[in-house]
Amino acid sequence: MEGMHEVLLMDAIISPEVVPHFVSYGILSSVVLIAVAFAVRGSLNLVPKGFQNFIEVVVQAMLSLVEENIGHKWGKQLFPFICTIFMYILVSNLMGLIPGFTASTANVNTNAGMAIPVFIATHYYGIRVHGVKYINHFLGPIRSPAAIVLMLLMFVIELIGHIARPLTLTVRLFGNMVAKHILLLVLAILAPLLIPGLILALGLLVSVVQAFVFTLLSTLYLAGAVEEAH
Amino acid sequence: MKKSVVAILLIFALVLLSATFVFAEEAAEAGAKSSNVFYYALAAIAAGVGVGVGALGCGIGQGLGTARACEGIARNPGASGKITTSLIIGLAMIESLTIYALVVALILLFVDPFGAKLM
Repeated sequence: MEGMHEVLLMDAIISPEVVPHFVSYGILSSVVLIAVAFAVRGSLNLVPKGFQNFIEVVVQAMLSLVEENIGHKWGKQLFPFICTIFMYILVSNLMGLIPGFTASTANVNTNAGMAIPVFIATHYYGIRVHGVKYINHFLGPIRSPAAIVLMLLMFVIELIGHIARPLTLTVRLFGNMVAKHILLLVLAILAPLLIPGLILALGLLVSVVQAFVFTLLSTLYLAGAVEEAH
Repeated sequence: MKKSVVAILLIFALVLLSATFVFAEEAAEAGAKSSNVFYYALAAIAAGVGVGVGALGCGIGQGLGTARACEGIARNPGASGKITTSLIIGLAMIESLTIYALVVALILLFVDPFGAKLM
C-alpha cells in the first residue's frame, strides 16, 4: 500500500504531497461546522424551525448527557469541549461515506489529537477541583497508613488504566473507520451494487454510534475526575 | 467427541502447522532475499487467526448482551428506550476489542515492522 494514493476531491485545492488527506479533510470538517454555526446564528427564531430545530436537538441531547453525568457547575464549563468533539467526529465520520471524500478520523493522528486533550483535561480539571487531594482517586477504597500496600497496588492499577484510556479512545475510532473503509473497498470489488449499499447503511450506523461512544466515554472520564472520590 | 477422532484431528493440525516450516526451507533455498518469506508467511497466518479468534470472543459477548437486552425488553416494554441505548453502547464497547485485534493484524500486514530488519 506504499505507492497508492487515492485521488480525492480536495486534490483540486491542496495537493496531497504538501498537506496530507487527513489534514485537509479535517480542515474541511471544521469549515463545515463553522459555516453551519454562522448560518444558524444569523437567523435565530424563538420557536425553532427546520435546520435550527435539528441543531437544537443535537445540542440538547449533549447538554443533558453532560449535565446528567458531570453535574451543573462543571458541566456548564466542559459542555463546549464535549459537544465540539461529538460534532466534529460525527461530521468527519459521515464525510468518509461520501465517494470522493475521506474521513479524517480514519487516521490515527486525528484521533490522538482528540484523545490526548481529553486525557490532559481529565487531570487538569481533577487537580483544579480537588487540589492535591486528587491523588485520592488513585489510591483505592481504603486510605489509611495501615493499608499502604493496598494503596500502592491500587495506584499501579489505576495508572495503567489511565494510560490505557487515550490509547483505547484513539484505536477504537480509528479501527472502526478503517475497517468500514476496507470492507467497502473489498466488497465493491467482489460484488458491486447491492452489497456495498448494505455496508454503507451499516457504516452510517457505525459512524454515528462511534461518535457518540467517544463523547460518552470522554464525559464519563471527566465526570470521574471531577466528582468526589469514593 | 471420541478420543480417537480428537487424536487424529490434533495430529492433522500438527502436520499442517509444521508444513509451513518445510515449505519455508524450500523457499529459503530458492533466492537470496527470501529470508523474509518465512516472516510474511507467518504474518499472514497470524493476521488471519488473530482476527478470527478476536471475532469469536466478540460474537459470544455481544450475543449474551443482546439476549439479556431482549429479555429485559420482554419483561418491561416501557423501558425499551433505555435498554436499547445501553445495549448499543455495550455492543460498541465489545466490538472495539475485535477492532484492536484487527488493528494489530493491519500493522503486521501493512506496516511491516520487522521486514526491514530481516533484509
